[in-house]
Amino acid sequence: MSAFFAVYAEHWSNWWPQLVPAIGNTILLTVFSFLLAVVIGVVLALGKLSRFRPLRAFCIGYIEVTRGIPSLALLFLIYYGLVPLGIVVDAFVAGFVGLGMSAGGYLAEIFRSGIQAVHRGQREAALAVGMTPIRTFRYIIFPQALRIVLPPLLNMVIILLKDTSICSLISAPELTLRAKDLAMMSFLPMHLFLLAGVIYFLMAWPLSLVTRRVERRMRRGMHGATN
Amino acid sequence: MNFSEIPALIEPLLIGAVTTVEITLVSLLVAVVIGLSFALIKLSRLKALHWLIDIYVEIFRGTPVLAQLFIIYFGLAYLGIRVNAFPAAIIGLGLNGGAVLTEVFRAGLAAIHHGQREAALSVGMTPWSTMRYIILPQTWRITLPPLGNYAIALLKDTAVVSAIAAPEIMFYARNLVTSTFQTTLIYILAALLYFCLSFPLARLVDRLERRGRAWT
Repeated sequence: MSAFFAVYAEHWSNWWPQLVPAIGNTILLTVFSFLLAVVIGVVLALGKLSRFRPLRAFCIGYIEVTRGIPSLALLFLIYYGLVPLGIVVDAFVAGFVGLGMSAGGYLAEIFRSGIQAVHRGQREAALAVGMTPIRTFRYIIFPQALRIVLPPLLNMVIILLKDTSICSLISAPELTLRAKDLAMMSFLPMHLFLLAGVIYFLMAWPLSLVTRRVERRMRRGMHGATN
Repeated sequence: MNFSEIPALIEPLLIGAVTTVEITLVSLLVAVVIGLSFALIKLSRLKALHWLIDIYVEIFRGTPVLAQLFIIYFGLAYLGIRVNAFPAAIIGLGLNGGAVLTEVFRAGLAAIHHGQREAALSVGMTPWSTMRYIILPQTWRITLPPLGNYAIALLKDTAVVSAIAAPEIMFYARNLVTSTFQTTLIYILAALLYFCLSFPLARLVDRLERRGRAWT
């Protein structure tokens, strides 16, 4: 067992400097795909609630399609599938665009249910006191909906963090790819994939602790509001 | 894009789809067995096992499936334990799903009012038949929608096992691309195939969810 860990001590000075930029890229992929997903999610959620039929149909179609196909299929389609059409996308960009488009469909449903969970009396009252529809949304609906969607939103960050690992399959230079390269060079797959797993865990676990705290707090807040 | 080639391309993809469904069903079964037994253990007085289960759940929910698959497929081979791609896929997805479903079943069991159990025991039912006839049927109803959602997520996650060369849809798609160069068409067909598999499942889950709400 100690021989197993001695390998880490031996290779650490070689591995760690190569893993650090990869970890940075994993974090960047997570952040970019999350931001893209939030933008897509908000647009789709509002589109699905709009009274304009073609827009609503498009948004429902987008949500169903992205929720029905694996992110990996989407990544391959963007990275490899667009090349014959003359569109060459960088692996990193293809990675976060694919993940973001996929997660956007999920966030749309989360946002929509969040907006709809705000009692409609709130909207009616705001309009009745003379607020414009945009101000109503900005100051009345949105702050209340945000409270509701915060826990699932944080959950999505964790899911995306873990999903960035599949970007390695389109050769985006992130943690899993770097671990795989180093594993092939050193013939030490167990050491490197375990190390990668530990690093992912160290990033995901604090996030999930925060999420659980927020979830508990929100539930308490909700209770106070109804009592 | 040459659309006349679609029939020739769709055939190998359909062979892959059979494997995709097989992997989904078997790993779903593994995940349900793990999830339900661990959730029951967490309700039991076997306190020593509680923290072991907690660690298992945290580890498998805190790391990517792909890393887990690589450890099982490449890592174990390094230690001299060779696991083929198909069983490796099922072990990886099953263990990962077991962690998710442990939480789902635990929440489902916790949602049953304790009066149900007390009433069953006080009319003389054994703990076993209380579980079998009173608790589990009610838990089942609560957990069915999240279970269905998990099944859809699992179906889509099987795409990842192509990375350890399990012969499912994405694996066949990648092979087809190297032999025919119909890149765009093949990946569109693969995506469509996944959609055809998951969309009916999603509609079913929607219906279950609505029916579940009507009951309560």
